[in-house]
Amino acid sequence: MASKKPEQFDRVDWSELSESSRFDLSINSIGMLAATLPLALLWLYDYQFVGERGATFQAIGLGRNLDPLDYFFVFTLFLFFFYLVLPLYQNPRMTRYYWAEFRRNRPAVVSLGWLGVVFVGGLLGPLVISAPEQSILTGHQPPMFLSINEANVATCVGDVVNGQCQGTWQHPLGTTRGGKDVFAGVVYGMTISMQIAFITTTIVAAIGITFGTVSAYAGGWVDEIMMRFVDVILSFPTFLMFLLILYIYGAGLGMFILVFSAFAWGGTARYVRSKSLSVSEEEFIKATRISGASTYRVVRKHVVPNVASSIITQLTLLIPGFLLAEAQLAFLGIGDSAVPSWGQLLSAGRSDLAFAPWIVLSPGIVLFLTILAFNFIGDALLDALNPEAEAESA
Amino acid sequence: MGFGKYVGARVLWAVVVSLIITTITFLLLAAAPNPAIREAATQAALQGGDPSAAVERERELRGLNQPLYVRYADFIRSVYTLDWGWSESRSQPVTEALLQALYYTAQYSIPWTVLTITVGPLVGVYSAANMYSWRDHVATGFAFFGYAIPNFFFGIILLLIFGVWFEVVPISYDTSVPVFSVQNVRQLILPVFVLVTGSIGATMRVSRNESAEFQNSEFMKTAKAKGVSPLRSYAYHVMRPTLVPLSTTLVGQLLALFIGSSLLVEVVFGIPGLGRLTFNALLSQDTNLVLGSTLVFTFIAVVGNLLEDLVFTVLDPRINYDDR
Repeated sequence: MASKKPEQFDRVDWSELSESSRFDLSINSIGMLAATLPLALLWLYDYQFVGERGATFQAIGLGRNLDPLDYFFVFTLFLFFFYLVLPLYQNPRMTRYYWAEFRRNRPAVVSLGWLGVVFVGGLLGPLVISAPEQSILTGHQPPMFLSINEANVATCVGDVVNGQCQGTWQHPLGTTRGGKDVFAGVVYGMTISMQIAFITTTIVAAIGITFGTVSAYAGGWVDEIMMRFVDVILSFPTFLMFLLILYIYGAGLGMFILVFSAFAWGGTARYVRSKSLSVSEEEFIKATRISGASTYRVVRKHVVPNVASSIITQLTLLIPGFLLAEAQLAFLGIGDSAVPSWGQLLSAGRSDLAFAPWIVLSPGIVLFLTILAFNFIGDALLDALNPEAEAESA
Repeated sequence: MGFGKYVGARVLWAVVVSLIITTITFLLLAAAPNPAIREAATQAALQGGDPSAAVERERELRGLNQPLYVRYADFIRSVYTLDWGWSESRSQPVTEALLQALYYTAQYSIPWTVLTITVGPLVGVYSAANMYSWRDHVATGFAFFGYAIPNFFFGIILLLIFGVWFEVVPISYDTSVPVFSVQNVRQLILPVFVLVTGSIGATMRVSRNESAEFQNSEFMKTAKAKGVSPLRSYAYHVMRPTLVPLSTTLVGQLLALFIGSSLLVEVVFGIPGLGRLTFNALLSQDTNLVLGSTLVFTFIAVVGNLLEDLVFTVLDPRINYDDR
């Protein structure tokens, strides 16, 4: 549980605690504000002064443009850093304990490493590697250490041995029919996947936690109506609804993230509600109430932190579903074809499968490993964060 | 609340949910520009007519100039009386097109569902009985593999290996084959296999974890002490309590998979089922057919959730109706 209390009771600075008010900001919130403010200013600048087509950083000579999705992505990264990574650093004792529990699950440690690669690759890759570009002449280049019959390529970048075009380091994973580098495509797909993962998680967590705690604390008929609403959300065929929206209005990646996260929080809200009901029965909550804490303070300081650790598991297990749905839509060719996602690569290589399988295999395997990694980590987090559940999953 | 009353309330609720979803669908469609009207305007402009007059005519023809509530009542009535209109891309009534597609979807969904429901719990209980042995690890690895590999990707790979390289299965789906024939089994074995690997993982995991609990329970010790054979004790004392929690998650998962994956698997394997029908309807902008297939999937989901809740109450007599 993400508590920020000192380890020993007698070291608590009571005078400081009693003087703290509702508007007291923790170091995390200050950091969050300090980081968000420049971002908001940059967005304002982008929105006001840079034209629709101009790149955000053109004033300092960089060609990179930021769209609203990028801003939101960076914002969620800040949230992730200040409210998840920093608290872990602030509580070294609990972090060590979690890590010891987590480490017992070896596949999960490997998975964490893999997700780290995807995260860093997605974050820094596009800055280092230039976007994959069309070049018809160098289409269907084989990956490194593989070769392809010369008849299938227009021009071979590497050497030609016995009529077989050899792979080169220039295109370590080969190229597509249009000559786009598969490796660059996979790296750019990492960015898209990370954006989907972070943004959907943030939206789902925000709506789910708010809805769940409000429902639990409101009680009565408000609770009843809110939970019926969750029932409706849960039985909504999201994939089909998205197809319908896509069909009627057309939709890009932003719309995809919005629709899918708007219908995915049902389970989280239900879980948060039952968890906060049980937490609010605890003795320490009663003690806080008697000391005169407002409901808002109880929820903010005691219920949410206690609930948060257990919904992290649930959120981890939601992400693969989003990644899969995006890949499926892109594969069907009805997503936004401008988004360089893994599914887009998969669908690009599908017709050339018989003689150029690497176009499908590389993004497919990366997608498979990522989904697998999220599942392993979810499993391990369940054990590490929820000691009671251990008997169930052992 | 008694059982009968609970069932009644639950059925009523399912009707309400389906009504809400249909309403949202209607609102989505009502707020959107209708492709048929745009088409009419383009046609009129091309033939030198007045586009706005053509739009007006088309709107009147389709009853779009009536107030929203009249159209809504009309829409709801035709939805529930199965008067789903005419599919322009297929030149047949929408219900007929859906029934034809359902015929092909059923051919692979039924074996898939049956296999998942029977094999999943069996393997799960088996691996719980041999927990942490190599058999358990193989089963767990398989469960995770099947769960994590995207169905459509797996389908493509299998089609490449067995269809293109080894040529043991046909690459394209043949609709003229009789249902109960070797050819049909051969062309459906890959889609069924892909879907089963996708859905069986979750079933295996849940039944493994649940039955692990019952394995060391007092009643199992008693059964063992009495000399009940392992097979009988697992079948009677572990399997039965395991199926209760399983049934709650199973239907929902199968449905989610059915709605999402059947579309992709049908596209990959070229099966002219419901998913393909939806997909083609989207591409050819056949609004009636898109709407019809959305409704079918919605009703399947709602009825599935209803059955899940009812089965749960029948299987677990301890459940308290007031809490739900």
